[in-house]
Amino acid sequence: MTTLAPPVVRGQEPTRSRGGRSGSVLVWMVLPAFIMFVFFGIVPLLGVIVLSFATWNGITPEIELTGLTSWKAALTNPGLPNALWVTFLIMALSWLVQTPLSILLGTFMARQSRYRGFLAVFYFIPLLLSSAAIAITYKSLLDPNFGLGAGLGIEALNQDWLGQANLAIATLIFVVSWQFIPFHSLIYQGAVRQIPQSMYEAAQIDGAGRVRQFFNITLPQIKYTIITSSTLMVVGSLTFFDLIWVLTAGGPGDATRALAVQMYQLGFQASLMGPASAIAVILVLVGIGLSLLLRRIGGRADQSQMEGA
Amino acid sequence: MKRRNFLTLSAGAAAGAALAACGNEGPGGSESGGGGSASYWSLSGEPGEPYRQAAIDRFNKANPDSKITPTFFQNDAYKQKIKTALGANQAPTLIWGWGGGGLKSYVEAGQVEDLTDFFAKDAALKGKLLPGSFGAATVDGKIYAMPVETVQPIVLYYNKKIFDQVGVSAPQTYGDILDLIPKFNAKGIAPFSLAGQSRWTNMMWLEFMLDRNAGSEVFDNVFAGKPGSWSDPAVLDMLTKVQDLVKANAFQKGFASTAADTNADQALLYTGKAAMMVHGSWSYGIQKANGGKFVPDGGLGWMNFPPIDGGKGDPSNTVGNPGQYLSISSKATAADKETAKKFFSSTLVDDEEKAGWVKSGGVPVIANSESLFTGDDAQFQKDMSAIAAGAKTFAQSWDQALSPTAAEVLLDNIAKLFQLQVSPQQWVDNMNGVIGK
Amino acid sequence: MTPTPAGTRAGQAPESAATGTRASRKFAERNWVGGSFAWLWLIVVMVPLYWLVITSFKTQANYFITNPLKPPSEFTFENYQLVIESDFVRYFMNSVIVTVGAVLPATLISFMAAYAVVRGAGNRFLQGVNGIFLMGLAIPLQAVVIPVYLIIIKMELYNTLQAIILPSIAFAIPLSVLVLANFIRDVPKELFESMRMDGATEWGTMWRLAFPLTRPALVTVVIYNAVGIWNGYLLPLILTQSPEKATIPLALASFQTQFGVNVPAVAASVTLTTVPIVLLYAIGRRQLVSGLTAGFNK
Repeated sequence: MTTLAPPVVRGQEPTRSRGGRSGSVLVWMVLPAFIMFVFFGIVPLLGVIVLSFATWNGITPEIELTGLTSWKAALTNPGLPNALWVTFLIMALSWLVQTPLSILLGTFMARQSRYRGFLAVFYFIPLLLSSAAIAITYKSLLDPNFGLGAGLGIEALNQDWLGQANLAIATLIFVVSWQFIPFHSLIYQGAVRQIPQSMYEAAQIDGAGRVRQFFNITLPQIKYTIITSSTLMVVGSLTFFDLIWVLTAGGPGDATRALAVQMYQLGFQASLMGPASAIAVILVLVGIGLSLLLRRIGGRADQSQMEGA
Repeated sequence: MKRRNFLTLSAGAAAGAALAACGNEGPGGSESGGGGSASYWSLSGEPGEPYRQAAIDRFNKANPDSKITPTFFQNDAYKQKIKTALGANQAPTLIWGWGGGGLKSYVEAGQVEDLTDFFAKDAALKGKLLPGSFGAATVDGKIYAMPVETVQPIVLYYNKKIFDQVGVSAPQTYGDILDLIPKFNAKGIAPFSLAGQSRWTNMMWLEFMLDRNAGSEVFDNVFAGKPGSWSDPAVLDMLTKVQDLVKANAFQKGFASTAADTNADQALLYTGKAAMMVHGSWSYGIQKANGGKFVPDGGLGWMNFPPIDGGKGDPSNTVGNPGQYLSISSKATAADKETAKKFFSSTLVDDEEKAGWVKSGGVPVIANSESLFTGDDAQFQKDMSAIAAGAKTFAQSWDQALSPTAAEVLLDNIAKLFQLQVSPQQWVDNMNGVIGK
Repeated sequence: MTPTPAGTRAGQAPESAATGTRASRKFAERNWVGGSFAWLWLIVVMVPLYWLVITSFKTQANYFITNPLKPPSEFTFENYQLVIESDFVRYFMNSVIVTVGAVLPATLISFMAAYAVVRGAGNRFLQGVNGIFLMGLAIPLQAVVIPVYLIIIKMELYNTLQAIILPSIAFAIPLSVLVLANFIRDVPKELFESMRMDGATEWGTMWRLAFPLTRPALVTVVIYNAVGIWNGYLLPLILTQSPEKATIPLALASFQTQFGVNVPAVAASVTLTTVPIVLLYAIGRRQLVSGLTAGFNK
């Protein structure tokens, strides 16, 4: 799997239009990215896999291979089910919140007008801030004693936003959405703009209203974009770390301790590099599973569109 | 099978080979040979960085052939950076730390130099430092670090203005504290400010509650790795008392989401939203800098944590940081080690070093600094010095004293205890599970 | 350039697409749901930004004393002074070098890889490579940072900007390939076929057909990667050491001192970092948006 030399390309492509005689050129095209990724992505990952079968505190020069000990420790850790659940919750909720809102905003912004351009500039700003800066900002705004509630004098805003389990998750989802909805809206904006106007005109002649046009034309036409954006959201949510770390540090208790946070705490705070690496491997596996799943959904869409075309 | 053999053959070769083959010197220390060029990593920011930098400048000026190159990191960043560097055999010559369990793990990994002989040969040097500061530098009877910088006991702060306003006086016993809680709550003032998200802040409470209830023996046993040490009935009693405090709203609303790193906990005290706070001596400087006229006008009061009625602990005991610590990397070259030792025995104990840390508002680990306490902060410094010197036991903070593995479980369980997510009995069981780990 | 790449996702008639953007302006102006939500969202976006700006003008001493949502009665520039004096310009330049130096090559090689993966649908090697890229999507950086560190030391790149750039490129690849490949798949096969008929090579087809058509996706990928690398904290922390090589996120962290965060200084440096990019975006937005829609009326 780590062989760097390009294997001989066999001329057994099913269709002439894909590949064919130009197969070897294609292999050359993929090589720069492949080599870079193997070198700085796969090799370190293999290191992590090796570590997951070892016991290491992170500082001894010698690392002892101890078989499945670290895996057992990681899998029997009472915190694991909670971490999995929290990870899933963050993933599902952030997708559920972000996707419709991003589509809504993207569709809206796709229609050009001066003030929408003005809006787009502001929407763009959260994208530029680092997760740590966003977390510091929100932590200050949501402080029950010195935050928004105190500033506006509205008692209802003086909730313990980050100090109660359910509220903390909800707050986290909100902050994630704040950070990423602008980006996904931009993607959807681009996609909606590509839908040929003639489709809407035809629909209008048929007497379809806005809502029906949205569901019959816009949504099906941006199917790919939805899959791409969903993959970014879902897989990206697996590795949320900075934001959670600064915002709640996994708390209160372990209410927001997602897998990535658990991994960091085990590895860099508790000096248990073995079990931390096992969790990293779990994260990678979950990520692969999810992206394959999404690709399959995308693949089906691909087929049906080809038939339609 | 040791990893070294395995990895060089395996697919992770790049990582493994680098691990095994990497040079002996820290990344910062390898440029120039000859007279020794020690690298030094420490924490950035006020109040410490200027005095750390000043010490290095003095040393480099006085020793033109040898050079110490400092790099300063933010607290959390430093912890991660130093760990990564040690694991890769890339540690700096001088390793700054908190002593205790962290130092112990460096010792077990063979990463730091044994300084026992160095101090044995130089009795004058050892005499210049507070004797209590060596405890956290000692592992299995051997000294592995030089105590530096300041002594930081944890104390009970209170807002005198709020106490006057409510018409109550400072607590003398734990019973007084319990009486005060409803009085402050009735006025809409939080009795205590606590940065519960940071976890080690909650731990300070447990440290005092356990000490005052049961004396210092329980934690000594935990530290020594005696199985079942947490099962002492005094521990259950202490944990129950802590949960009673939470239930009685002794801490401000939303304490679980207050973090120490924004200093919001200290702001609660100096803005009068909370009446009292248990915190390290460094908090004085922060309140002075951020609280406007609060500290200069005498608004801030402080005391050692009061005794608990019927408790076994000595009321003079305190906890906190008995010092900060500098170790020498065992992987450094002989010349670099010499430079480091020279730095220890000359610059780090000179009068300017002492005066500098006094000026920073702290109590130096260098002995006989009382005469220097003359400025605005003299009273505070005198009191801190008295607490540190008068303590029968100056216990190191638990999370620093224990191994990183045990400390993480401890902090996790402490956070859950304050969230009422675990019962005292579950807490004891969980913690017994990691004794000696 | 002979073939006009005028197709759309499902291969609709190209003429209507060419006039699409202009026509849409007249068409169906009223989207009440979207409109009201858009304004609401503007408020949601603006409140924290407003807080950041006003906080950056407060002294650390009165940060907790003043109303968090009111501008300070006396504006202070001491935070900005502090930030600029701490060598901000150099950090900014380093961040620019790292971001540009990583994003451009990453996007370029990812585009080539994506093209190859899509065009070589029947090639096992290419599909295997694609599978490996997919694997990379969920590699948590915190987990692999130690091996990456060792590799960089071995390459004697420690404490250089390349040390940040190289792994940043690698970690940008999986996602970029995924997004770009999904997009290239949408290009109607007939267009590739006609290029082939005209005797164009794969290389020529890639640049003259796929590249312009993929521009919207390329812009997306560039933004996504640039933002991630610009804000990256872990790699610069672990892979560099001297202040001359520090990037902005590291400088931000230096306002988090041993005992606490200097919130107003953080706010000032965040503001200072963000303003130039916002201005750039405001000026270049038209190009960006046309980038997002280009490839149709070319």
